Amino acid sequence: MTIFPETRDSLIVQVKDQENREAWEQFSQIYRPVIYRIGRSRGLQDADAHDLAQQVLISVAKAIGQWKKVDDATKFRHWLSSIARNALLNAMLRRPNDLAIGGTSINETMHNVSRPDSEIELQIESECRREIYLRAAETVKASVEPSTWDAFEQSVVFGQEVRDVARQLGMSAGAVYTARSRIMLRLQSVVRSIQEEI
Amino acid sequence: MELSNQPCSSEDRMLALLHGELGAVEECDLQEHLADCEDCQLRLEGVAGERCSWFEAREFLVEDPWRSSIAQKALDRHDQHSQSPSMSALQIQQVLDVLHPTDDPEMLGRIGGYEVSGVIGSGGMGVVLKAHDRSLDRVVAIKVLSPHLASSGAARQRFEREAKAVAGVLHPNVIAVHGVSNDSVLPFLVMPYMRGATLQKRIDAEGALPVADILRIGMQVAAGLAAAHEQGLIHRDIKPANILLEDGVERVTITDFGLARAVDDASITRTGVIAGTPHYMSPEQARGEFVDRQSDLFSLGSVLYSLCTGRPPFRAETTYGILRQITDDEPRSIREINPAIPDWLCKVVERLHEKNPTQRYPSATYVAELLEQCLAHRQTPNAALPAELQRNRTNLVQKPFVYVAVAFVSISVITVIAVSWNSDGQIASLSEKKASIPVMDPNPREAISIGRADADLGWHDDAFDSPSDLLDQAIQLEREIQDSFLPLEKP
Repeated sequence: MTIFPETRDSLIVQVKDQENREAWEQFSQIYRPVIYRIGRSRGLQDADAHDLAQQVLISVAKAIGQWKKVDDATKFRHWLSSIARNALLNAMLRRPNDLAIGGTSINETMHNVSRPDSEIELQIESECRREIYLRAAETVKASVEPSTWDAFEQSVVFGQEVRDVARQLGMSAGAVYTARSRIMLRLQSVVRSIQEEI
Repeated sequence: MELSNQPCSSEDRMLALLHGELGAVEECDLQEHLADCEDCQLRLEGVAGERCSWFEAREFLVEDPWRSSIAQKALDRHDQHSQSPSMSALQIQQVLDVLHPTDDPEMLGRIGGYEVSGVIGSGGMGVVLKAHDRSLDRVVAIKVLSPHLASSGAARQRFEREAKAVAGVLHPNVIAVHGVSNDSVLPFLVMPYMRGATLQKRIDAEGALPVADILRIGMQVAAGLAAAHEQGLIHRDIKPANILLEDGVERVTITDFGLARAVDDASITRTGVIAGTPHYMSPEQARGEFVDRQSDLFSLGSVLYSLCTGRPPFRAETTYGILRQITDDEPRSIREINPAIPDWLCKVVERLHEKNPTQRYPSATYVAELLEQCLAHRQTPNAALPAELQRNRTNLVQKPFVYVAVAFVSISVITVIAVSWNSDGQIASLSEKKASIPVMDPNPREAISIGRADADLGWHDDAFDSPSDLLDQAIQLEREIQDSFLPLEKP
C-alpha cells in the first residue's frame, strides 16, 4: 500500500513563519478542500462546510506557533485533526437547527460527529490523498488530448466497459487500453512530484 | 474468441508503448493484440501502475464536492475568466439569433446598418462582433450588450449613458466610439476594429515586460484615464484584458470604459455577487463603497504590478479571498519576484497602491507626466529621475509626520529611561516587562495576520460587513469555540 506522507516539516516551519504567505497559501489550498469535504460528509451544507474550513484554518493560523515537533511520533496531522475535530463538533453544536439533515435527531448527529479521533485522522489522511490525486488529475488532463483523458475517465473512473467507451469515442479497444494506461503512468508520476512539494 | 496473430509483448515493449516510443505500425499491431488478449491487458495495467493506484484513481477522482461547489460559485459570478465554453457559446448564439437576415451570403446577419461578418469574442458583458459599415466602407467592432443584461432597464440606460460619455472623450489612448444604438432588441455600440492583442494576452505569452515597455504602456494608460477623468468619466474596470495593443504601432488603447457599471446594475443588485474578475479592483470597490477617479489609479497600480512581475498583485482561490487581500494586504514586493525592476518604479506602484485613496497620486495627469519623465530617464541617462523618486527624498517629502512621531517617541523613551534610572536598579525589570508583553497578551488579530498586512491606512472599521468585521467575528467565534471546548480537551 501507499504510505501517506507526513506533511513535510519544512512546510510547517514555513507556515509558522507568519511572513511566509506563500507557504500559507499552499497549506490552505490543500487543507481547505480537505476540511470542506469532511464537513460535507458529516451532513453539513455547502455554506456551512465553507465556514467550517475557514474556522479550522483560522484556528490553525492562531495555534500554529504552539506546534512543536518533539520527536518523530508527534505528527502534525494528529494535531491538526484535534483542531479540526473541535471546530467540527462546535459547528454542529452551535447551529443544529440550521442543518438540513432531515429526520436525523441531534443524538444521531452527535453520534456521527463524535467518532473516535483515529477515525477523523484517517479521514483527513484519505482526503489529503484525494486532494493530491485531484490536483495531479488536473495537471495531467491539461497536458493530454481530450480523447485520451476521456478514455481513462470513462473506463477507469466511471467504470464503463472498454468496448462501450471505444465505440463512444470512435477508438479501437486497444487504443482505449493504451490511452488509460498512459494516463495512469503520468498520473502517478505527478502524484509523486506533488507529494514531494508539500 | 478469435485471437489476433500478433504475439504477446514483453513488459519493456509495453512501457515503450506507454511512453509513445513505438513506431506507428508497431503501435497499431500491439493495440490490435491488446483488444483480444486478456493476459496482455492485465500486464499492461501492471506496467502502468500498481493495483492500489488504479483503485485510488477510481475512488478519488469520481467526484469532488469541493470543486463542484467552487465551479458553481464561479458560474454564479458570471466571471469572465471562468465562464464555461458552453455558456459563452450560448451567449453568442443568443446574440446571433437577434440579428436581422441579410442578403449577402458571406455575412452572418445584420444589426443596425452593419453587416456582421464574424464573432470577435465574448465576455461577462456581452459579445463583440466584427462587422462591415457599408456607408463608410470600413470594418468596425460592434459590442452588443448580453441578453441577460439587456433585460434590465437600469443596465440598458447606463450602457447608453456611459457609451455616449465615452464617445465624448477624444483621445488617442481611449477607444473611439462611432455610434450607440439603444433602439434594437439588444443595445450595442460601434467602435473601430483594431488588429492586435490585449495586454493580458501579451502578459500570458511573455510574463514580465521590459522596463521601457512598462513605462510606455503605463504612461499611455494614465494619459487616456486623464482625458476620461476630465470628462467626469471613471473607468472602474482597468485591467490588462481591457487594454489593447495595436499591431505594429506602439499605441495603447483603453476599452470598455465605464461599462462595468452597467453590469453592476444588473448583477450586483440581483444576486449580491460581483461581476467580472476582481483581481484589479481597488479597496474601495472591494468594500462596495463610493468609487471615484482615485479608484482607477489603484487599478493602474495593479496593472503596472502585473507588467513588472507577470502576475496580478492579489491572488487567492476564491473571490472573497482576493477581495480580502485587496483591502487588507500589501502585495509581495515586486523586486522579490523580478529584481530587474528599478526601485523607483516600485515606488510608483506602491504609491498607486495606497489603500487610502487620498494618499495616492493626485491625478492621472500627474501619473502620466511622472511616467513620461521616468521613460526619458530610462532612455537617455542624462535625463534626471523626477525628484520625488530619487533615493532618500520621498519619505521626507511624503511622510514628515513619521519623523515627528519617531522623534516624539524617542524623546518619551529617553524620558522614561531617565525617570527609571533615578529609581536605581529598576531599569532592567522595566525592559523585561516590556519584552514580555506580546507573549502575555496575545492579540488574536496579530496571530492571524498571515495574509494580512498591518499598514492598512485606508481601512474604515465602520464599514458595514467589511472583511475586518468578518475577521473580528471569526476571532470572536474562535474564542467561543475554545472556551466551550476547554473541558472536552482534557483526556
